[in-house]
Amino acid sequence: MATQTPITEVVDLTAPKPPKHLWLEVAHDWVTTVDHKKIGLMYMGFALFFLLVAGFQVLLIRIQLFVPNNDFVSPEVFNRLFTMHGTTMVFFVGMPLLFGLGNYLVPLMIGARDMAFPRLNAFSFWISAFGGILLYFSYIGSDGLYGAGSAPNVGWFAYAPLTSPAFSRGNSTDYWIIALLLTGIGTIGTSLNIVATTISMRCPGMKMSRLPLLVWLYLVTAFMVFIAVGPLTAAQIMLLFDRFLGSHFFDTQAGGSAVLWMHFFWIFGHPEVYILVLPAFGFANEIIPVFSRKAIFGYPAMVAATVGIGFISMSVWAHHMFTVGMGANANTFFVLATMAIAVPTGIKIFNWLATLWGGQIRFTVAMMFAIGFLFQFLIAGLTGIMLSSAPFDWQVHNTYFVVAHFHYVLVGAILFMIFSAFYYWYPKMSGRMLSERLGKWHFWLFLIGFHLTFDFMHIPGLLGMPRRIYTYEADRGWMIWNMIVSTGAFVQAVGVTIFVYNLIHSYFKGEIAGADPWDAWTLEWTTTSPPPAYNFAKIPSVGSRRPLWDLKHPEDPDSNYEFNDSTADEESYR
Amino acid sequence: MQQDHPIKKGEILLPTPTAWPMVLALGLSLLLAGMLTSPIISILGGALCLMGTVGWFRQVLPHEAHEAVLTRTEEVIPYTNRTLAAKIPTSDTRRKNLPVETFQIMTGIKGGIAGGIAMTIPAELFSLLKYHSFWYAINLLAAGGFVHWASASNAFLSEFHLRGLLAAVAIHGFISLLVGLLYGAMLPMYPKYPILTAGIMAPLLFTGIMYSALGIVSPILNQRIDWFWFVPSQIAFGLVCGFVVNLHAKVRTPQFRSLPFAVRAGIHSDIGTREHEGSQSKDHQESQQ
Repeated sequence: MATQTPITEVVDLTAPKPPKHLWLEVAHDWVTTVDHKKIGLMYMGFALFFLLVAGFQVLLIRIQLFVPNNDFVSPEVFNRLFTMHGTTMVFFVGMPLLFGLGNYLVPLMIGARDMAFPRLNAFSFWISAFGGILLYFSYIGSDGLYGAGSAPNVGWFAYAPLTSPAFSRGNSTDYWIIALLLTGIGTIGTSLNIVATTISMRCPGMKMSRLPLLVWLYLVTAFMVFIAVGPLTAAQIMLLFDRFLGSHFFDTQAGGSAVLWMHFFWIFGHPEVYILVLPAFGFANEIIPVFSRKAIFGYPAMVAATVGIGFISMSVWAHHMFTVGMGANANTFFVLATMAIAVPTGIKIFNWLATLWGGQIRFTVAMMFAIGFLFQFLIAGLTGIMLSSAPFDWQVHNTYFVVAHFHYVLVGAILFMIFSAFYYWYPKMSGRMLSERLGKWHFWLFLIGFHLTFDFMHIPGLLGMPRRIYTYEADRGWMIWNMIVSTGAFVQAVGVTIFVYNLIHSYFKGEIAGADPWDAWTLEWTTTSPPPAYNFAKIPSVGSRRPLWDLKHPEDPDSNYEFNDSTADEESYR
Repeated sequence: MQQDHPIKKGEILLPTPTAWPMVLALGLSLLLAGMLTSPIISILGGALCLMGTVGWFRQVLPHEAHEAVLTRTEEVIPYTNRTLAAKIPTSDTRRKNLPVETFQIMTGIKGGIAGGIAMTIPAELFSLLKYHSFWYAINLLAAGGFVHWASASNAFLSEFHLRGLLAAVAIHGFISLLVGLLYGAMLPMYPKYPILTAGIMAPLLFTGIMYSALGIVSPILNQRIDWFWFVPSQIAFGLVCGFVVNLHAKVRTPQFRSLPFAVRAGIHSDIGTREHEGSQSKDHQESQQ
C-alpha cells in the first residue's frame, strides 16, 4: 500500500430504517414521498421504461426500412411509430432521465437536505408521469367521434396544417398536445426547484465560484427551460383553440400562418437540444476529471461557455427553417448565430481534452462512455456546422443526413453520457456497484451498434433519402445502407438489454460500493450509499471546488490553488 | 431552511410525506383528459384538483408539516482504504502543473489584429494584379454575408460597395480576432518550432480544411477563390500573428504556485524537478518491492 491518508469526517451512526416488506407499504412510501432522491429515482425508472418502449418502436421502424417495398407495418402504423418514438424519446426519456439525475444529485452536491420545494418536486414528477401515460392512452382512447384515432401521427414537431382538424381527425393530435402540456408543467416545476435550491440552499462555503460544474449546468438548463417551454405551451394552447374553438392561428387559408407554428415550435425545439445536452456536459465535467485524476481544466471558462451556450442557443432556432424561405438576411443571421455556438462548445471540448492531458486515466466503463461521448459529440458538432450553412442545408434538409446528425447528438453524446452517469452514480443510488464486465459488453456492443447505425445513416441522406418515408424503391441505391443501419439498431438493442440486466442483477448481487467507490471529490460521496433521507447527518462546510479532496489531502488542499479564495490570491502575488 | 432549526440536538426536520401533490397532478391530468374522453372525467379531475389543493395547503399552512429524524453522529479520523498502484509515479503534491505560463488574452487579440492586417496584403495584391481593382477581394469576402453576391459578375465585385466594405471588415475582423485568440492559447503548447507550426503548418492545415469544406458550403464562392493566392495570405497571417504573439511576455498561471520553491525561485528548472520526482517515485517503488 503506497499511501493511507487520514481524513476527518463526521460518521453517521444512525441505524437505517428497517425495510418495508408489504407491497402496499412500499407503494405508499413511493407515492407519498417528497424526498428528492426517491423522486429522482422515480423519474429515472419512468424514463427507462419509456426508453425501452421507444426503443422497441424504433426497431419496428428499422425492420420496415430494412429492405425496399416492405410492408412489415402499415403506413398508418409507421406514421404513429415515428411520431411516438420522437415524442417519447425527447419528452419522456431524455427530459425525465436528466431531471431525475438532477433531482438526485443537485441537493447532494451542494450539501442540502432536499430541494427547496419538496412538494412541488413530487407534483412535477407526477404530472410529467401522467402526461406520459396519457400520451400512450391515445393508442386505445383517441378514436374520438370519427373512429379515426389511435396514437398521434403528425411527427414530433407536429407541423401545421397537418395538425388541423381537416387533416388530423379524431383526438390523436389532442392527446399529443395535452400530454406535452402536462409534462411542460412538470418541467417548469422541476426547473423552478433547481434554480431555487441552487441559489438558496447551498451549504456553508459553497460559493457560486465553488459550485460543482454539474450544478452550474443544471442551473443554466433550468433558466433555459423557463424561456423555451413557454412558447411551446402557448403554441399548444393556440392549437387547441384551433382544434376545439374554431380559431385560425395556424390555418393559412383563413388568414393564419403555418410558419408561425414552426417559429413557436423551434423557439422551444432548438433550445431543447441544449436543455438535453447541457446536463450531459455536466456529467462529463464530473466524470472525466475523477477518472483522469485531475481537477477540471478551466473551471471559469467552462462556466462562461455554459452561460454563452445558454444565450446563443436562444437565437438559432430558425436554422431548422432555412428551406421555408425566410429571406437572405434572416438566413444569414441564423447561419452566423448557429456557427457562433460552436465557439463556446469548442471551448468545452478543448477543456475536457486538457483535463485528460497528462492525467492518470482510468478506463472504467463510466470513463469509456465519456470518451465515446467526447469523440461522437465532436463529430455531431461538425455535421452541425455543415448543416448550419444554409446552402448545404437546402440540399439535405429533411433527409436522413439530418436524422443521422441529431441522433449523433442525442444518442452519441447525450445517451452515452447518461449511460456514463449511470455507471458512475449507480453505486451511490443503490449502494452496489454495477458489473464492470457486463458494462464493457454494454459499451462495446452499443458503440459498435451506434456507429453502424448512425455513421452509415449519413449516406442515404446524402443520396437523397427523405426522413419519415414509409418505404422506398429498390432502384434507389439505398438498400445496403438501410440494411447496415437497421443491423446496427439491433446491436444497440442487445447492448441496452445487457445494461438493463446489469441494473437489475447488480441491485441484488452487485459488489457493495461503500460511500466513495471512485475516490471522488464532490459532496455526494461524503455520505453513505445510498444516502439517508436527510442526506447529511451534519451539514458539510466546503473550502474549495473539491471538498472531498480537501478532506482526504489536508496537506495539499485545493483552496491553496483556487483564485476565488482571497488568502490564496494574496499568497500567489506575494 | 429546515436544516437550520433542529428541534433537539441530533434531530433533523424533514418535510412530511404527502400524497396531495400526486392527487393534484392526477386531478389536473384528468381535468384535461376529460376534453378528449368524457365530461365525467373532467368533473372527477376537477374534484381531485380541489381536494389536492386543499390537502396541499393544509400541509404548509399555517406551518409546514415536518417529521423529526433522530440521528447519531461521531467525529472520527478515518483512513482511506484505497491503495495507490505502485506503478503510477506520483509527486509529493500529486499534482500536474499544466500550464505554468501562458499568454494574456490581449496578446491574442493584438496578434489577431496584426495578422489580419498582414493578410490583406497578398489578398489585395491578388485583387489588383488579377482584377485590377482594389475592391474585388473585399467584395468576394463580403459575399460570404450576402449570399446572392456569390453569383454576381466580376464587374460588380470590382466596384466599391459600402455594404460590402462593412461586411468584409466585420467578417475579416471577427475571424482574425478569433484565430488570434486561438494562437495566443495554442502557441505555448508548441514552444520548439513556433515559426514552422504557427507560421506555416497551421495556415496550411486551415487552408486544407477550407479547400475541402468550401466546395460543400458554397460551391459558387469556391469557384471564385484563387487558392494560389489564398495560401500566401494565410501564411502571412500565421507568420505575423505568431511573431506578434511571441513578442509578448508570458504570464504565470495559478498552476505556477504549486511548483516547488526552488523552481519558482529559478534555482532549478521544472524539468529537473520532474526528473527528480520520477526518480523518487522509482526509489519508492523499489523500496515497496
